[in-house]
Amino acid sequence: MDLTLPGLPKIAIDRRRALVAAGVAAAVIALAFIGWMLFLGYTDERQVAVFGARVAASEADLFLVSEKISAYMRASPDHLPLGEIDGRTREFVAVAEYGKGVSAYHRQAVAADAVPIAYAGAQSAYVRGLDSLVRAFSLWSSAAGAYDAKAYSAAKENLARADEAWGEYAAAMADYERELRAAEEGETVPPA
Amino acid sequence: MDWKDVIPVLAGGLVILVVALVVKPALLGEPIGSVSPGPVPTPAPPAYVPPTPAPTATPFPEEGEVYTRTFRWTAIDGGVHTTQVRVPEALFLEHRATPRFADALAWGRYALADADRPFLADLAGRIAPPTANPEEEYYRLMNLVFFVQQIPYAPDNSTASYTEGVLPRHARHVKGGVEYPRYPVETLVDGKGDCEDAAILMAGLLDVLDYDAVLLRYPDHMAIGIRMEGFNPYYAKYTPRYFVHEGKHYYYLEGTGFVAENVTPGSPALRGKPFPIGDTQDGPLQSVRSRTPEIIPLRYIIEPAGYHIRPVRLPAGGV
Repeated sequence: MDLTLPGLPKIAIDRRRALVAAGVAAAVIALAFIGWMLFLGYTDERQVAVFGARVAASEADLFLVSEKISAYMRASPDHLPLGEIDGRTREFVAVAEYGKGVSAYHRQAVAADAVPIAYAGAQSAYVRGLDSLVRAFSLWSSAAGAYDAKAYSAAKENLARADEAWGEYAAAMADYERELRAAEEGETVPPA
Repeated sequence: MDWKDVIPVLAGGLVILVVALVVKPALLGEPIGSVSPGPVPTPAPPAYVPPTPAPTATPFPEEGEVYTRTFRWTAIDGGVHTTQVRVPEALFLEHRATPRFADALAWGRYALADADRPFLADLAGRIAPPTANPEEEYYRLMNLVFFVQQIPYAPDNSTASYTEGVLPRHARHVKGGVEYPRYPVETLVDGKGDCEDAAILMAGLLDVLDYDAVLLRYPDHMAIGIRMEGFNPYYAKYTPRYFVHEGKHYYYLEGTGFVAENVTPGSPALRGKPFPIGDTQDGPLQSVRSRTPEIIPLRYIIEPAGYHIRPVRLPAGGV
């Protein structure tokens, strides 16, 4: 039995052809790299624009919520009859439910889109802020529910916890501003 | 150089592109393709839904059965007065059928009960008629205080405390006895009550006269706080005590404990020793003398401390 391997064809190396082939390969890789970088840059800009649009929409809706809250807080509570106080509480529930719905909606919208890695901190902080708002408005609803059940101590407790959630919201928004500034200036943000 | 030499290079580039645009996104769960991910479609944001107005309560009819109660009381000038109170039976029975609030913070609602207001306004107008002279305002106030202080004291756990002679269905059995805070007209129909009943009635009467009052809750007692600025009468042999709530001064006011005695033995003429405003030292209760009460506003209004939406800067390049 002949176990010898068949001879491989001899490759003829032509220096000029090899250089041309390497040049073409380098050109293709360079083109692909440049194209890829342009593509990434375009994607980043687009993602930031989408993120900005999401935040803008959220801020616009939160402004409407803020107007409702201000209208509620402005109403003079002095010497109101009981029926009107209960009416005010129903208004408070309506504002709380509106705020909760708006915050939850925008929380989902802002968190849904991808952002460049540099903006991930800002996005995360903004989402955290909206989470706190959802919690704050939910606690407002719970406080109003407790008021309705004439459990005023429970209502006060819920309001106190809501106040804490409002504090967390403010802190998250401060983080967002800091992260955003860092992302735009290309810095890294130390942990808060 | 032949095409066959370029083809492997182009194939390599194609493999790189396929890996970048298809394989990597598929592995990382990103959208596949060269199109950059667009905004995720979302439905319209929620809209504000205003609250439904509550139906207006039907006022109690003037006709029908009424309870008539007559109160004989001594005014601040020493004069003895007789005041009659009429309360519709339907209103009284409705209150009796209403469960009591377990949370004492809500007891201010009894004092402000809408259905009781017309009767309290009528009673306050007869006990303390309006006066154009500001100097008489104090006497007007004190007559109202005297009237309530002279309603006989009766504990919640005594069946004699109630018109029906039995404990009301919604009397709450609590540690140490029975708790049954009464609506103002219930106290008037029963003609007696304990400290919280007197406090609720007095607070309701003060409120219809536009005084700012709160309930003061001690572990074993309830009284009233009346808002005044700098109350310090020349005749007081005590330092009037007040409590601060939301920056306002509420002076202690006792709802019970008026001690009446005959001017002379056998004489129908009475002289009373009321508890004046701010006096916490002459009563029998140690808690009143030494402790700071829990303040229960008549009106509990939900007013959060935190409520400011904080506008933020948008990312550069955003809309």
